[in-house]
Amino acid sequence: MKLFGRRQKSEKKRSASDEDLFDEEMQRRLEVLALVARRIYRGRQRAERRTRKTGAGIEFADHREYAPGDDFRYLDLNVYQRTGRLLIRLFEEEEDLSVYVIVDTSRSMEMGDPPKLQYAKRIAAALSYVALANLDRVSVLGFSDQMETRLAPTRGKNRIFKVFEFLRPLEAKGETDMKTALRTFAAQNKRRGIAILISDLYDPKSFEDGINQLRYAKFDPYVLHVIDPADARPPLHGDVRLVDHETGETREVTVTPRILEKFAKAHARYQQQIEEFCGNKQVNYHALPTNVPFDEAVLRILREGGLLA
Amino acid sequence: MTFTGLSFTQVLTVLGAVGGGVVILYLLKLRRRRIDVPFVKLWEQVLAEKQTTRLFSQLKRWLSLLIALMIVAAIAFALGDPRNAGITEDGRTLVVLVDASASMQATDEEDGQSRFEAARETLGELITELGPTDRMLVAQLDASATPLSPMTSDARVLEEAAEALEVLDVAANPRAGLRLALDVLRDQPKAEVILLSDGLLDEERFDTSAFSERLAESAIAFSWEKMGEKESNVGIGAFSVRRYPLDKSQSEVLVELYNPTDEERAVELELLGDGETVDVQRLTVHGGERLRRFFRNISGVDQTLEARLKPVDGKPDHLPADDRAWARLPERRRARVVVYSAGNLYLQAALLLDEYLEVVEAAPSDYPLEGRFDVAIFDSFVPPSPPSTPALYLYPVPATDEAWAPLAVEGVIETPYFDHIDRRHPLVQWTALGDVNVATALQVELERGDRAVARDDRGPLIVTGARQDQPFVAFTFDVRQSDLPLRVAWPLLLLNTIDHFVQERDGFVSSYETGETWYVPVGGGARVATIVDPQGHERDVPVVDGRAVYAGVRAGMYTLRAGDDGAEESFAANLGPGSESIIDPPDEVVLAGVTAGEPSQGEAGVRQEIWIYLVLLALGILLVEWLTYHRRMTV
Repeated sequence: MKLFGRRQKSEKKRSASDEDLFDEEMQRRLEVLALVARRIYRGRQRAERRTRKTGAGIEFADHREYAPGDDFRYLDLNVYQRTGRLLIRLFEEEEDLSVYVIVDTSRSMEMGDPPKLQYAKRIAAALSYVALANLDRVSVLGFSDQMETRLAPTRGKNRIFKVFEFLRPLEAKGETDMKTALRTFAAQNKRRGIAILISDLYDPKSFEDGINQLRYAKFDPYVLHVIDPADARPPLHGDVRLVDHETGETREVTVTPRILEKFAKAHARYQQQIEEFCGNKQVNYHALPTNVPFDEAVLRILREGGLLA
Repeated sequence: MTFTGLSFTQVLTVLGAVGGGVVILYLLKLRRRRIDVPFVKLWEQVLAEKQTTRLFSQLKRWLSLLIALMIVAAIAFALGDPRNAGITEDGRTLVVLVDASASMQATDEEDGQSRFEAARETLGELITELGPTDRMLVAQLDASATPLSPMTSDARVLEEAAEALEVLDVAANPRAGLRLALDVLRDQPKAEVILLSDGLLDEERFDTSAFSERLAESAIAFSWEKMGEKESNVGIGAFSVRRYPLDKSQSEVLVELYNPTDEERAVELELLGDGETVDVQRLTVHGGERLRRFFRNISGVDQTLEARLKPVDGKPDHLPADDRAWARLPERRRARVVVYSAGNLYLQAALLLDEYLEVVEAAPSDYPLEGRFDVAIFDSFVPPSPPSTPALYLYPVPATDEAWAPLAVEGVIETPYFDHIDRRHPLVQWTALGDVNVATALQVELERGDRAVARDDRGPLIVTGARQDQPFVAFTFDVRQSDLPLRVAWPLLLLNTIDHFVQERDGFVSSYETGETWYVPVGGGARVATIVDPQGHERDVPVVDGRAVYAGVRAGMYTLRAGDDGAEESFAANLGPGSESIIDPPDEVVLAGVTAGEPSQGEAGVRQEIWIYLVLLALGILLVEWLTYHRRMTV
């Protein structure tokens, strides 16, 4: 709370006019979440991640032949005394972790109660805050059939308001094309890290291709599947014309209890298909029903999976 | 199958209109609601399976429409009130004429019940006995025939009609009843006219022989349910009052008592003036006698007179309706008379006899005198133009041949005699003119509408008529050249003439007769008047030519309101035809040459009203539709 006290003064005017997506209650919950997250990661090196890149770290990695211009301080004198060879000690370079929070902003995300996009924004904000609190480098991005907007990587807990400012105006628009969008993402972000994909995964082409783009580009993908429970059992009956909210495709159907039952099964199968794909590909997967409070969902994610660990 | 409610065409029209509406609404219902879903691809697998059941789904839709149309059809046919044709033809079609004439007020039924109440009870029994396919129309028979219900088998409607029956103080008009029955029952199966009456119908006034052929050819049965049995009645047959011409402060009353039975009856006749007893007489009326009694020199009565009769011999009098009679005295008003004369002592002397005359004398040269007069008398003088008041011309010789005269003079009649006198004319009542000697009279030519009240074989002596809408009386002889002024008839003739003008203008009638159309004088130029009958019921009636037109059906004192100031006047009405006092029911009734038989018997039973089952069917289908809809079977 103290963290946001100073900020609140400067942000007060703006918050009053903004939607209540990131209101005081949200901020209070994030603070609690950060404290809980800190306990979960107690004992681990705070904010330090080793990469395969060698450099100026303190952890020995390997030797190589001396070359003119090398820093004499890294000459391994013991080896030189034993073997007479000039070898340079190589160390693993220390590097802060890059966390990419990728939010689906396609039109299907504006459906549901609460809207899935709103829920996704809160999840994204919460995870960003936990990551920023761990001194990780956080970048937030929105996509539909292409990469839409991007918050440049940032670090430090007090940068959470940048995240809020980025997330707040995000609107649902466009169709979903994860493959194209995430291929673009991979190409634009050379620095590998954790890619947290928050989406309802309603991709008419293939959700697998989208996730594979992250895998192929050596990102560490986390799939957070936002699910509106009403999607599985829509409150429909009688003769209706179903219109896809993204593509405008229509299907006429006379909805009966039997049809609804079948649809529920189809919806469950689709969800199971996603889960099995992620399991097979060793991709972390978490289903997030929108009727579960976002902070509970985040804690479950943190406890169950190695996210941010 | 026949339709007794809406016709088959109307049923089809309703079915077409409402059924069309249902189809349109159904098509509107088939317009699917647009529902946005996040991922329609998920539905495709489900829809693929659904295709296999599409035919069944279509069938369910058509089944739903069929159910809706069946409901509409059931209700439309129910409105037609369908009946089995064979059964309908078996049903009787009845017109029940309930006699509501004055004689039906006779209380000679059991427990003192009147004949009319007994007729109403009999009607109730007829309604109860109606068969499932019988139909009935109830009509009241009085001075006219008034249907009180439609032709229906609905007992409730018929019972309401029975409750609406009302007995009146008039004679029954069998002609109107027969005409109504024949019109209603034309081409109807098993048609029957049932007359609930004491059989005392006024066939003398309302002859039914004109319907003989039609009734005989129509195969309509005519039956009669007799009401009443006994004959014990004595009543007032006539009641009249007039003021004396020469003393309008006193009146003379005529009462005629009628005993239609064979037995001698002792009665007490009470005369009331303005509500106070004026005279009481005990009289004996022999069987079949019409006993006239005059009450002379009745004074102290200004407005109303009432006669009450009650038997004093201990025998019953079953008809109270003819035991009372009312009369209204003419208003005492001072008439203004202008006399244009060069001097006529006989005329002046005669006019002095009536204290209610205000006489203004003027010389012929003063004509016309200003002011409003009720009568103008022209003595041996003819005005240059017709006067605007009723006029009495004495010896009307025009000044010149071209001058206007009420009667064209063609010559002179020497020593005329009163050879012919119209004794019924009010001008000459209480006068003896047969031996009057006249020197000469004018030979005049009558115009159309003129009437000679007294005349010599060679020409008229006293003429009445109208000129320019004003009545006139002309004496074609000079009274000074006759011995008439020496007789009592002279002032009577004068005063009768003045009264004739004044009363004719007022149209005074001491009492009206029920069952007739009354023309009651109304002052003030009103177009509508309000009449309050003896029972206090008010009714607005039209005023035609200064008279309120009203068909009265109740005896008693009436009140008439008319004009902007709502001025009230009263008038009397008495039981119309004296024949209503005859209450001895006949043994048979013959109308239009057909003798009435016994009413046919109905077969009470369950009425086969299919419409009830059709409505139940519609409700049943509606219930099934409701259940299947809410169980998602027909959606």
